[in-house]
Amino acid sequence: MQDQVSNFLIQLLQAGNNSKGLNWLEKQTQKISSEPVPAKLFLAFSQASRFFKKEKLELSVKQLEQADQLCSGFEPNFWDELQTARAVLLLSYKAEKETWFKTVNQLFETADMYEHQALFAALPVLPFQEDLIPRAIDGLRTNISLVFDAIALNNPFPAKYFPEANWNQMILKAIFMQRPLYKVQGLEERRNPDLAAIARDFAHERWAAGRDVMPEIWRLVAPFVDEMFMSDLQKALESQDELQMKAVLLALRESAYGPAEKQLEQFPELVAKLDMEAKAWKSIGEEFQQTRV
Amino acid sequence: MYIDPHIHVVSRTTDDYEAMRKAGIVAIIEPAFWLGQPRTEVGSFKDYFSTLVGWERFRASQFGIVHYCTMGLNSKEANNEPLAEEVMELLPLYVGKEGVVAIGEIGYDDQTEAEDKFYRLQLELAKEVDLPVLIHTPHRDKRKGTIRSMDVSEEHGLDPQMVIVDHNNEETVKEVLDRGYYAGFTIYPHTKMGSERMVEIVKQYGPERIIVNSAADWGISDPLAVPKTADLMRKSGIPEDHIKLVTYQNALTAFGQSGQMDEQDWLNAAPLDQTKKMSGNSVLRGGQTPRVEGPSDIVEN
Ligand SMILES: [Zn+2]
Repeated sequence: MQDQVSNFLIQLLQAGNNSKGLNWLEKQTQKISSEPVPAKLFLAFSQASRFFKKEKLELSVKQLEQADQLCSGFEPNFWDELQTARAVLLLSYKAEKETWFKTVNQLFETADMYEHQALFAALPVLPFQEDLIPRAIDGLRTNISLVFDAIALNNPFPAKYFPEANWNQMILKAIFMQRPLYKVQGLEERRNPDLAAIARDFAHERWAAGRDVMPEIWRLVAPFVDEMFMSDLQKALESQDELQMKAVLLALRESAYGPAEKQLEQFPELVAKLDMEAKAWKSIGEEFQQTRV
Repeated sequence: MYIDPHIHVVSRTTDDYEAMRKAGIVAIIEPAFWLGQPRTEVGSFKDYFSTLVGWERFRASQFGIVHYCTMGLNSKEANNEPLAEEVMELLPLYVGKEGVVAIGEIGYDDQTEAEDKFYRLQLELAKEVDLPVLIHTPHRDKRKGTIRSMDVSEEHGLDPQMVIVDHNNEETVKEVLDRGYYAGFTIYPHTKMGSERMVEIVKQYGPERIIVNSAADWGISDPLAVPKTADLMRKSGIPEDHIKLVTYQNALTAFGQSGQMDEQDWLNAAPLDQTKKMSGNSVLRGGQTPRVEGPSDIVEN
């Protein structure tokens, strides 16, 4: 699997027409895989920035499918060339578990911002997945959104492996940082009553401070709407902010709560608009990110 | 536009960053150095080096300043040999990183044997990774230490053009320039080089290969030393193109030889956006309003 992913990533890099970089990469991966000394990996990993730029990869529809087949939820279409090259280097380093972790821990502990981005985004395709869970959880303590995003967004790792408490902490922090929730994989499947309550508390805090909440937050509440949540949703409906209202209506429509029906009936035009949008939560999230600040 | 090619911003506040940006500083270089008190564990070096390429770089970017650094084992701490050995093992992890523009500050402090050993090892490292060298010259016995730094560098076959000899004064400048090195000058309030003395040196030696810096750190120092010296030069009738060379271009040319420092990094920088910062434990405290330049805040993920 490691080699398959690596070959696939090299194939993606070939579209960039950077033969100098690709030659360098090939030489480095040979060195790294033939000599089990971490120093080769360390130097190549950092110097990759001299050969690859932070240009976004472009994937065809077929390549998108291939990525998902290699690793469910794998989305290198959000990667750039530099981080892809770094992932290839990392995948070419093979060792038994203890040695592998000694080396890779060293990389994590000495990484700069973009190296962290490469390392964390590569989590789903690295070996020893379950032993990497603490590393991913620790990574979320960062203050740098680029690094946080590499773990939390467009990455199948958290949804697949995080215990509920850590999952909830990640989502709360993402809300706090106003990160686009629709890019969190498994968001819908891993909703839970605790998280809904956390979202509600957060909304109350923001309102108490005279501030708005991000509309996507109501998605977390949808399956658990009851009388208590209903009063919050009503308050959000009164905001007169179309994005906020659409989000609430989406949540109400998904909920199985009886009185929600009546509320929906009061906003026929907005509900009709929602019907036209195939991915309503995504469009709400995108629109919100564009209005931010 | 100014570059301060020698400043230890880990010791400075965000007020300093704001003032620096306002005064026209667009890029800075933070050389790895000692912290005023010796470290006793290699992990302290590791975290310090990580800060230089991580948090400090990010922090500077939030104020519109592009942050580069140099990596190296300073001469003072080279005297703890067992620890110095461990630091040498750590350096290959950092020297190749993006934005690392030189090996430095290295050189002599008390001019001991241990200092000599690690200075030489790091000159070899610089050759191996093709990076310029930033030499810290000693405060005591400066002239002799400066000459010895250059002698040893030449012994190891380094091209003087790839070496910046720092903390010069009237006693050392002539030989450093004559031998083809870049000559750094640190403007310290009260001590060493004042701005007035700097003006006289540029008048006497011209602007070629002379680089002005603040070396501002935790001690008495001024993060605005570069723009202030430029102002004084202007008042003293030094031509504008000479001022540009010593407060901007020469530093860029010298450290740009690393391939890690490019004018486009600040000329084409993304609009300043403090909202990218997190509210939790960010540089902004509660109640402060983030500053945003430019039309929008779309973070492409
Ligand atoms: Zn210094």
